[in-house]
Amino acid sequence: MPAALAGGGWPQPKGHGYFKLSQWWVISDQHYTDTGLKDPNITSGIFNTSLYAEYGLTNKLTGVVYFPFFSRALINNVRSATTQELITPGDAINSLGDTDISLKYGIFAKNQLSVSLTGTLGVPLGIQGGIANNLQTGDGEWNQMLQVDAGISFPIGKINAYANAYGAFNNRTNGFSDEVRYGIEAGAPFLKDKLYVIMRLYGITSLKNGTTAGMVNSTSIFANNSEHLTFSPELNYFVNKNWGLSANAAIALRGRIIFSAPAYSAGVFFRLTPNS
Amino acid sequence: MKLVHLVPMLALLSLLGCIGDDFLLDTVDETVRITNPIDSLKVGDAYRFEATYFNKIGLEESQPITWTSSDPDVMTMSSDGLAIGESIGEASARAFTILNTGDTIRDELPVIVNADATSASLKGRTGALEATSSYILEGAFGLRDEGGGTLVLEFGEDYLASSSLPGLYIYLTNNPSTNSGALEIGEVTVFSGAHSYTITGGVSLTKYSHVLYYCKPFGVKVGEGEFDN
Repeated sequence: MPAALAGGGWPQPKGHGYFKLSQWWVISDQHYTDTGLKDPNITSGIFNTSLYAEYGLTNKLTGVVYFPFFSRALINNVRSATTQELITPGDAINSLGDTDISLKYGIFAKNQLSVSLTGTLGVPLGIQGGIANNLQTGDGEWNQMLQVDAGISFPIGKINAYANAYGAFNNRTNGFSDEVRYGIEAGAPFLKDKLYVIMRLYGITSLKNGTTAGMVNSTSIFANNSEHLTFSPELNYFVNKNWGLSANAAIALRGRIIFSAPAYSAGVFFRLTPNS
Repeated sequence: MKLVHLVPMLALLSLLGCIGDDFLLDTVDETVRITNPIDSLKVGDAYRFEATYFNKIGLEESQPITWTSSDPDVMTMSSDGLAIGESIGEASARAFTILNTGDTIRDELPVIVNADATSASLKGRTGALEATSSYILEGAFGLRDEGGGTLVLEFGEDYLASSSLPGLYIYLTNNPSTNSGALEIGEVTVFSGAHSYTITGGVSLTKYSHVLYYCKPFGVKVGEGEFDN
């Protein structure tokens, strides 16, 4: 059995799965600039309602889909503080969001250590639009990412904790720079395995080998050459054997060319086990 | 609760992302600006001065403007701006308006009255860019009147701007807090070194007080440069 609820170095056993319906959002009135400092911007937001699914096709091969089936991007009205008159009207767009389709393969599993390799195809179902063409629900490019995860489970007293680390290379198209992604994660169950507490630290480093950010009219979380290092605590609470509630926050510790406000998510998950 | 009920509920959360209001601190000092300055006025010549009032958000607004001369013995001035050189010397053309608040706003231009010629030497204006954000923006610039209703905005070798912003635009404006009411010159495509923009359409050399760099998609003011003259 995987030590983590989802993700990490453990493929789902055949017939097992993890499904999560969630709402993710970020609203920001400032952003990290190319110098890593924060500057103000017109308040903008992105809201994704998504389905995340992992399913064990075999004991070693897991299919993974992240599908934001409703994505909304918005930007506020700008009014003169002097006259109260509308300077720039706000705007919003709604669409599907950029979707990831992955296959995870378990390449090593011995004792408590498990290593997997994941190939991901990013499908640009999101759009760019709005009156000023300044809103995005996706980056408009097909990307391919190869990720290696290594996870280990270990006891802390009577608690079966786990830790996972990953590194990934994201090959991007349409002038976007390629990326190196990385992260570490640790989690443990409490309250008789009803409450899973997870802490994550992950980041993206741009190789800056695409066109400059100024040449790609993408903003918010979709800007080119954006980078960040993010801390993300998460709580998952089982309300019965299979169903649970999940809540997560993601706080950028540093970044470049990206929103600086925290992102949040809340959702419902279902853990599929045989005979469940 | 069934899963099928959760889907629209979560989607509804997205719609709670309503468009709100951001308020921009865009107050500037009200000004009166003499827009067709001259340096010298020949004795016996007449010259009609013009001036424009810019309100507290930097927009041109109709407002009665009254003219006087600092020394009517040297240069007489009608209340509507017609100046006549009377004798050799120096006098100032004064344009002022009285606001509803009772405050008076004025502009003043020194004029040499001589026996030779009426002339205007202002063919260009200069300034220097400075970043008002953490993005890089620096360098000297000049605005030159080419004649025929054409202006040329030039930047020198010391010009440097961040290439990290999507949709960085350059403007001429009287309110450097916003691109509203500004004259959009174009999208910035040169991020270092000497280059220029040609501005057609009969824009007056003296109409604007600032050059503004503004990122449209983010709504971010990057920097500005005020004309020195």
